[in-house]
Amino acid sequence: MRLNCIINGAAVSVDIDADARLIDVLRDALALTGTKEGCAEGECGACTVLIDGLAVNSCLVLAAQVEGRSLLTIEGLASGDGANALQRNFIERGAIQCGFCTPGMLMSATALLMRVQQPSREEIRRALAGNLCRCTGYEPIIEAVAAAADEMAGPA
Amino acid sequence: MAAFKYVGLSPPCPDAFAKASGELRYATDLRLAGMSYACLLTSPHAHARIDSIDARRALQVSGVIGVYSHEDAPATRYCRYRIVPGQAGCVDDESLFAVTARFVGDRIAAVVATSPQAAREGVRRIEVGYTPLPAVLSAETALEPDAAHIHAGGNLLHRFDHATGDAPVAPADAVRTCTRVSTQMLHHAAIEPHTCLANFDASGRLTVWSPCQSVYGARTVVADLLGLAYNKVRIVKVPMGGSFGGKQEFILEPVTAYLAMRTGRPVCLTLDREACIRSTMVRAQQRSDVRSTVGADGLILDLEVDTLLAAGAYASSSPDYSEAMAHKLTRLYRVGRYHHRGRVAYTNTPVAGGMRGWGAPDIATCAEIHLDQVASRLGLDPLEIRLRNLVHPGDIDPLTGHSVGEAWVRRCLARGAEAFGWRERVGLPAGTGRIRRAVGLACGAHKNGIFSDAFPEATTMTLKMNEDGSLDLNASIHEVGAGSAVTLQTIIAEELDVAPQMISTREADSESTPYDFGCFGSRLTYFCGAAARALAAKMRARLIEAAAELLAVASENLCAAGGRVVPLGGGDSGLSYAQIVQAARMRYARDMIVTHTHRGTSNPGSYCVQFAEVEVDVLTGLVRVNEVLTVVDIGRAINRQMVEGQCRGAIQSGIGSALCEEVTIDGAGRTGAGGFKNYHLINAADMPPVRVLLVEHDGDEGPYGAKSVGEIAVVPTAATIVNAVNRALGTRLATLPLTPDRILAALGDRAPSGSREPACG
Ligand code: FES
Ligand code: FES
Repeated sequence: MRLNCIINGAAVSVDIDADARLIDVLRDALALTGTKEGCAEGECGACTVLIDGLAVNSCLVLAAQVEGRSLLTIEGLASGDGANALQRNFIERGAIQCGFCTPGMLMSATALLMRVQQPSREEIRRALAGNLCRCTGYEPIIEAVAAAADEMAGPA
Repeated sequence: MAAFKYVGLSPPCPDAFAKASGELRYATDLRLAGMSYACLLTSPHAHARIDSIDARRALQVSGVIGVYSHEDAPATRYCRYRIVPGQAGCVDDESLFAVTARFVGDRIAAVVATSPQAAREGVRRIEVGYTPLPAVLSAETALEPDAAHIHAGGNLLHRFDHATGDAPVAPADAVRTCTRVSTQMLHHAAIEPHTCLANFDASGRLTVWSPCQSVYGARTVVADLLGLAYNKVRIVKVPMGGSFGGKQEFILEPVTAYLAMRTGRPVCLTLDREACIRSTMVRAQQRSDVRSTVGADGLILDLEVDTLLAAGAYASSSPDYSEAMAHKLTRLYRVGRYHHRGRVAYTNTPVAGGMRGWGAPDIATCAEIHLDQVASRLGLDPLEIRLRNLVHPGDIDPLTGHSVGEAWVRRCLARGAEAFGWRERVGLPAGTGRIRRAVGLACGAHKNGIFSDAFPEATTMTLKMNEDGSLDLNASIHEVGAGSAVTLQTIIAEELDVAPQMISTREADSESTPYDFGCFGSRLTYFCGAAARALAAKMRARLIEAAAELLAVASENLCAAGGRVVPLGGGDSGLSYAQIVQAARMRYARDMIVTHTHRGTSNPGSYCVQFAEVEVDVLTGLVRVNEVLTVVDIGRAINRQMVEGQCRGAIQSGIGSALCEEVTIDGAGRTGAGGFKNYHLINAADMPPVRVLLVEHDGDEGPYGAKSVGEIAVVPTAATIVNAVNRALGTRLATLPLTPDRILAALGDRAPSGSREPACG
């Protein structure tokens, strides 16, 4: 079957199997390999993408379900060639070690910041609770999200 | 303290933006032209003879290229852990495909197909005839006289007996205490699943792309197994999404290489999470009986440990791992006599192997839980008993005869106690309501590199300076995500006084980067860092020598500063590095390239002390960690942020091992953890705030005093948490993890003895 949707702002039309998972279509058919697979069971969050602004585990979604929807993946995050505020804070604050959880973390954080302008530390923790990281101990990630939120809100 | 220009700052890793933008290609992201996909059929039985393998229905699946098993694969046995040919302690007991299934998850066959779906479908259709054999699921039962043998030669894989010193005559008021501590099988839980790619080309050359920790180690295992010359086998280290030791051993490389050879196609093998937990390797289940005689003054007169470790179905690194456990406590405490006996048994359970800390967390957990019990019997503050026994800088480890070096663990403990407010908090009542609160602490020791009397420590690196003054470091770097590349960049930058960004690094590739044992053994910063420093010093000398010729002055009157070689007294008559490189080439036909082979001659102790506060809900048995303070005897932080990152990540992992992480086995040898659903990792919501304190000083052979951090940082964590829980509850819990069930059971049994833990054997 044919899937039509918007990915990172561009219209996409691609042939898919009816039972194809969204993650496979992104990574294989569309070569968007920034979205990672860590568990295939909705537990690790490495595969997080945004569907109409909501963070979902793309390993649990059928590609057919995103017909007509608008998707944002990690490849769509950077502004032009440079890092956006969230990415830059991740890089500068030690929120990235091996980097395998990073795309998913960034997408969950993006969804949070789209919903809540200046989330509390507790809100950030809860928003990232579905994204596992074995390297960083989370704190630098939480700090990076908080700092990016502050930056994006501008001077008070 | 010397002033540094780059050391101690926190520049990000060179690949940080590639990671943040999704551009970095990990093994699972690589696509080779004509790539095929492999899927493994693994054993559903813990122990079974394989009578028949019928692949006919699998071969009918559209897209299936071939089915491979012991029926056609070489029967050669190998050791997945071996780094150098003929390495002592390596047992060749594993083969590409099992003839006898030895654990649930053992490799029986592989299907290669044009798509992952077809490969999986092929696996489902293979019919295997098994005759189940009696399974041995614990080290205890494995060593019973009538236990079924897992390998010819019996189940006792390894034993050791190390003793040193004489126990002084114990005064009458000395106390003798015994504690049995059990630690569980753990999953490394790198978020990147195990993946390997291989291609065997028409010229007879094999290339393997793997997120591994030793390209040269992988090469000897793969080449020897497949009968290829070493220069026909190229192992390329690709970006790694975490290892924690789980990718140190060569688990997928041999079988993927074999499949590529057999099919003549590029093959990609990726394991799903369940297979990563069950079929790669785990931290060993072990139990140790710790017996001590301690004087009323708190001095440890005698310390005896008896360890029984379950190796799982194949030897892998378990013999060495168990030995490592025996070599930690004498570099942590001054003890009158130390005696450690160990036995390692084959079991029909997942293969045990190296994991972050390599024996050090395992033994620290045992000893530190024990020491709290001793302190409590003596009425001593846990801080006090440790202060009375910890090693001092320059002590000789009686077991090895080598110095513990600049061992500032006492300073770590004192500073940490101060910062944590230990003395004020230790005596606070735990409360009598539903929530009990208390603090705990523990110490740990590890090492710096692999130098020992039995194994050399060496590495080779090349540094080249280009016409614009930029530099290329050619070294076998195996970046595990901990900042190896930026650490070496920073050291070279400091030595040559150029910006770290001026130095390019590359990852290990057995075809083009010089020999190195690999990234393990806490050797990167301490040893490879020292090598990089010496290498850069050689480059500096070469630049100064060339400048001296060019300027017609004596080289003693020149120095390197700010990317230039200038007269010692200052002045601006010097030459930039770029000018030197260009002029040296054009005038003297000389290249600015240096190669250095570095040799290690020391292995001082690494130390970490941790403090934590926990709250236990006595109704549910749930533990909440409120706060952790970690103090590391780092010597020198080369990249402060990376060092702190190692400390924080280690605590996430250590808390998990204390409270919730466990690969369980049922009565049939099946692992309970199907995936992360049943293997709970500490997440962002569970994670307590962590404070990191670093104790810095000069000394030892590391660059600017730097010592290791990635492994030592996890060593005391589990014991710290367990000690805090026991203090909160008045229990003597010593079987990990402290699940709600175990905690409630211990509470139910509290009066009058205070513990349900099994007595020492
Ligand atoms: S891969 Fe989708 S949640 Fe883990
Ligand atoms: S950075 Fe490695 S898993 Fe998060």
